[in-house]
Amino acid sequence: MMETSTTPIWELRDIIIEAGATDIYKCYQCGKCASVCPWYQTEAVNFPTYKFPLAAQLGRIASSEGKEELAREVEEVYRCVGCEACVEQCPQGVNIPNTLRAVRRILVDYGSYPDTLKPVVSKIHNVGNPLGEPGEKRRDWAKDLAIPLFQPGMEYLYFPGCFPAYDPRLRKVATSTAKVLKKAGVSFGILGEKEWCCGEAIRRAGAEKIFQEAAQSNISAFRNAGVKKVVVTSPHCYTTFKNEYPLLGADFEVFHITQLFYQLIEEGKLKPHQLSQLPELGEPNDSKSQRAKDPIKVVYHDPCTLGRQNGIYEEPRGVLKNIPGLELLEIGDFSHQFALCCGGGSGGLWLDWPKGERMADIRVQQAIETGAKVLAVACPYCLQMFEDSVKTMNLGLKVMDIAELLAESL
Amino acid sequence: MDIVVCIKRVPETAEAEIKVDSSGKDILKERLTFDINESDNYALEEAILLKEKRGGTVTLISVGPPECEDTIRMGLAKGADQAIRVSNEGFGELDGFATAEILKNTIQDLSYDLILTGCMATDDGYSQVGPTLAELLGIPHAVLVTKVDLQDGNARVERELEGGLLEALEIKLPALFAIQTGINEPRYASLIAIRRAAAKEIKVLNAQAIGLERPTLRTRVENLFPPPVGKRAEILKGGAEETSKRLAQIYKSKGII
Repeated sequence: MMETSTTPIWELRDIIIEAGATDIYKCYQCGKCASVCPWYQTEAVNFPTYKFPLAAQLGRIASSEGKEELAREVEEVYRCVGCEACVEQCPQGVNIPNTLRAVRRILVDYGSYPDTLKPVVSKIHNVGNPLGEPGEKRRDWAKDLAIPLFQPGMEYLYFPGCFPAYDPRLRKVATSTAKVLKKAGVSFGILGEKEWCCGEAIRRAGAEKIFQEAAQSNISAFRNAGVKKVVVTSPHCYTTFKNEYPLLGADFEVFHITQLFYQLIEEGKLKPHQLSQLPELGEPNDSKSQRAKDPIKVVYHDPCTLGRQNGIYEEPRGVLKNIPGLELLEIGDFSHQFALCCGGGSGGLWLDWPKGERMADIRVQQAIETGAKVLAVACPYCLQMFEDSVKTMNLGLKVMDIAELLAESL
Repeated sequence: MDIVVCIKRVPETAEAEIKVDSSGKDILKERLTFDINESDNYALEEAILLKEKRGGTVTLISVGPPECEDTIRMGLAKGADQAIRVSNEGFGELDGFATAEILKNTIQDLSYDLILTGCMATDDGYSQVGPTLAELLGIPHAVLVTKVDLQDGNARVERELEGGLLEALEIKLPALFAIQTGINEPRYASLIAIRRAAAKEIKVLNAQAIGLERPTLRTRVENLFPPPVGKRAEILKGGAEETSKRLAQIYKSKGII
């Protein structure tokens, strides 16, 4: 390994700050960030979280001369999953994911970023979703449910997001959601073809221009359709709609689906029934009558973007607690603001780190140790990351979205 | 060792939804992203590796509109020393020969030991520019090159043949090699190099400057169209279990498995 120079490059510091790393001088190197960074849970990776603000102050990020060392540095810049565990703990209010995002913006402008992310950015620009699926198929998930297109006068626009609209597994989350909303008599419609990727993941991966384009496309589609309230499946859509789109001219209210579910239960519009054993769990058939009375042990994983970043901890739990026959468990020390990231954020979903470098592998292990049979999530990224881990590790754990569990109980 | 690398900015079409425009002769590009042509990126990396080993300079040349300068700057950030953009304004439609002619007129006044190009452009797939340029300049060439080893006045190269064979050649310099993908691992550009590249001059030449008012156009695109669906294509319908069973049956019946 080449020795990394620490001679300051002031002009580089200036462009990193200009690209958005505005709070780097608040860092006093206490290292609290490192104590909560999910990379510290993986054995194979050394990711010194605390070094980035100082490295940015010195203009010494992704600036090595040597080809191999530079490749390692760029990879490091792309390791941050934007879970914001460090932001939550920092006594000085330094946003390290933001610092790295500033660096990514400069790299992306010059095409100097991981090849696996390039098709994702291209596809969003090309057809409006990271899967590269045609826009006219965006409504296909709702075909059998007769979900209408959004019309003025409807209360909510349901925005399933890209994966629940296209991915065969995630479509079950969208259809479950629609079934629940119909059952509760909620007035809602969808945008279908006019829905575009929210752009949250690629913005965090550094592709600012394509994010801006995606945001403007959605903002004008919502405005033209007369949308006032949007309810979303993905916390990633939620956070960018709620915290970022308003700065770009958006004028609508946004709700995460678990917030609406909880409200509907509170209002008595949804009355979950006893949840019988889930057939997919592969429970043995013996002493059936006894088993049917046992509650299903479900452990809830807080998605970083929903919990830490938007403070929504109680509504998802409130929904689960209101399903009879379901016992809600917690992952001891790694719950609520200390939840361990699935690794899917900020482009992580597409980076495909090797075994030993996957946060999701650690998280599903934590879930299994609680004795749970079901790992409940409220985010399409988490669901994908955890299902991959459960499959590759061959674990007896079912990963389900809260919408799927709720739909089962109605 | 002075190396000239010819690069092309191409739309990313591999996984994109492609639509033919109203002229019927080109594709709609508004919703496509652009990047350096894949094999050109390997040619660029090979040039930088050779420069690192033996010293000298790397000069980039690209023919195209001002947007090409994004691609050129990326090359400068990775380690090229200077760059020329030949403006395509006034040239109209260009085919492989016409592009080679433009490049020949641009390069003939430069001093060079080696010219590297990619082996094929991913947009038109012609694979013509490299060999045609070499012929026009009267220098030897090799295509689908997978290894370059420079000696004094000579180069030993390996190139791909069909059937998994490699051919080793000794070629007198100056020469042109059309580089195959996979010959090396293209590098990232560092932040500081990106910063420096932003300030580097890109020389812009026009038809008059290279003394070529009208390149020779020998082919013209008549129209573009998606290929008709073959008669023997069969779309399997049904769930994963059903279709995979049917697929296995077909494979078995054809003796594939």
